[in-house]
Amino acid sequence: MKTAYLVSLVLIVSTAYVIRLIAILPFFHTQAGTEKDTKNGVNLLKIRKSSKKPLKIFVFLGSGGHTGEMIRLLENYQDLLLGKSIVYLGYSDEASRQRFAHFIKKFGHCKVEYYEFMKAREVKATLLQSVKTIIGTLVQSFVHVVRIRFAMCGSPHLFLLNGPGTCCIISLWLKIMELLLPLLGSSHIVYVESLARINTPSLTGKILYWVVDEFIVQWQELRDNYLPRSKWFGILV
Amino acid sequence: MEKKTIFVTCGATIPFSKLVSCVLSDGFTRELVEYGFVRLIIQFGRNFATRFDQLVQERGGKVERTDIRIPDDEFGCDGNVSRYSLMDGTLEVIGFDFSAKVQKIISDFSDLVISHAGTGSILDSLRLNKPLIICVNDSLMDNHQQQIADKFVALGYVWSCVPTEISLTASLRASQTEKLKPFPVSHNSGFERLLNDVVYS
Repeated sequence: MKTAYLVSLVLIVSTAYVIRLIAILPFFHTQAGTEKDTKNGVNLLKIRKSSKKPLKIFVFLGSGGHTGEMIRLLENYQDLLLGKSIVYLGYSDEASRQRFAHFIKKFGHCKVEYYEFMKAREVKATLLQSVKTIIGTLVQSFVHVVRIRFAMCGSPHLFLLNGPGTCCIISLWLKIMELLLPLLGSSHIVYVESLARINTPSLTGKILYWVVDEFIVQWQELRDNYLPRSKWFGILV
Repeated sequence: MEKKTIFVTCGATIPFSKLVSCVLSDGFTRELVEYGFVRLIIQFGRNFATRFDQLVQERGGKVERTDIRIPDDEFGCDGNVSRYSLMDGTLEVIGFDFSAKVQKIISDFSDLVISHAGTGSILDSLRLNKPLIICVNDSLMDNHQQQIADKFVALGYVWSCVPTEISLTASLRASQTEKLKPFPVSHNSGFERLLNDVVYS
C-alpha cells in the first residue's frame, strides 16, 4: 500500500512540474499577445502612471556589436526603460562597462548596479580548463541571477537580452527559478536578435527561441523562414 | 564652390588596409577634389598609424602643421592626429587610429561617409542622416557583413563597393548624382507597446 501512495505522490508532483514547465516556456502563450496589442496601446500611459514603483531592468552587454545595439535600444526606448529605473547591468568585458558608464551619465536619475559575468568560453583553452571555466561561470552567474531576480520581486521588471552565449545561462537559471518557485511569477525575458542576422538566427538565438518570453527579430525574412513564433517590428536599433 | 569633407571609418579592431590605400589613391583623390571635397578624415583602426603615415607619404603627402582649421581635440583620440596636405594643398588629409567622438565627427563635419560593413558604423551614419558608402572587407571570413551590405543596398539606404579604386570611385560618382531613400526612424511604437505589456503584465 505504501508504495502505491508513494508512486501516486511522485506522479502528482511530476505532473505538476510538467504543467508548470509548459506554462513558463513560450510555446503556448505567445500567440495571445498580438490580439490584445491594440487595446493595450490606448491604455499605455495610464498603465505606466498607475505603477508608482520604479522599473527594475536587467541588461546584459555582450561585447562590441552586441553592446552597441543594446545601448541603441536603451536610447531609443529611454522613456519606458530609463525613467527613474534601477538598472542591473551584466557585462563580461571592461570596454563594454566603460561604454555603458559613459552612456548612462545622461540619465542621472537611474540607479545602476554592475555585475561582472565571466566569459563562458576562452579561446585556446584545453578541455579541462574549459570544463573548469564553464562550471565557474555557471556558479557565478547563478549567484548573480538569484540576487537580481529576488531584488526585482514586487516591482515591474524586465530582462532585456541580445546575446551572446552568457545570455543562455542567465535565461536557464531564470527559468529554473520560475519552475521551482511558482510564486515568484514570470521573469519577463525579452530577447532581441542582432541586426546582422538577416537569413539565419545566431546560435544563442536558436537556443533562446525555446526559452524566452518574447523573441524579437529585426528582419521579416528571419521570422518567416526560421522563427515563426518570433515578432518583427522592423529595425529597432 | 562648397567646401566638403569626407569621413572614412575602418572600424576599431581589424585594420582595413585596402580601403585606406584606395581612398588615398591618385584616381580617387582627384575625383574627390573635382567634386568639391577639401578635407579627407580617416579613422584607420588600431596598430595602423605607421602604415598610414607611410601610405600618405608615398602619395606625396606633406606634413601639415600650420593651417589647422579643426583642432585635435575635436577628434576625440587623445591628440594622436596625423595631418597632411595632398595634391599641392588642395586636399587636407587627417588620420587617427580610433575616436571616442565618431558620431560628432559625422554630424558636425562630414558631408559624405565611407564605412566598413560593421553594423555599428553603418547605423552611426544612417541615424545621423548622412549619405553613406559601405565598403565590404572581402578578406574577412564573416559573410554577415556582405549580407547586411547587400540588404541595405537593396533597400536603397546606402551605396556599396569593394575595396578597389574603380569600385570606390564609381560609388563616389553615384553619391554625387543619385539620392538615397530615407532610413526609417528607430522608434517603433509596436515594440514599445510589447515592452510595456511585458513589464507591467
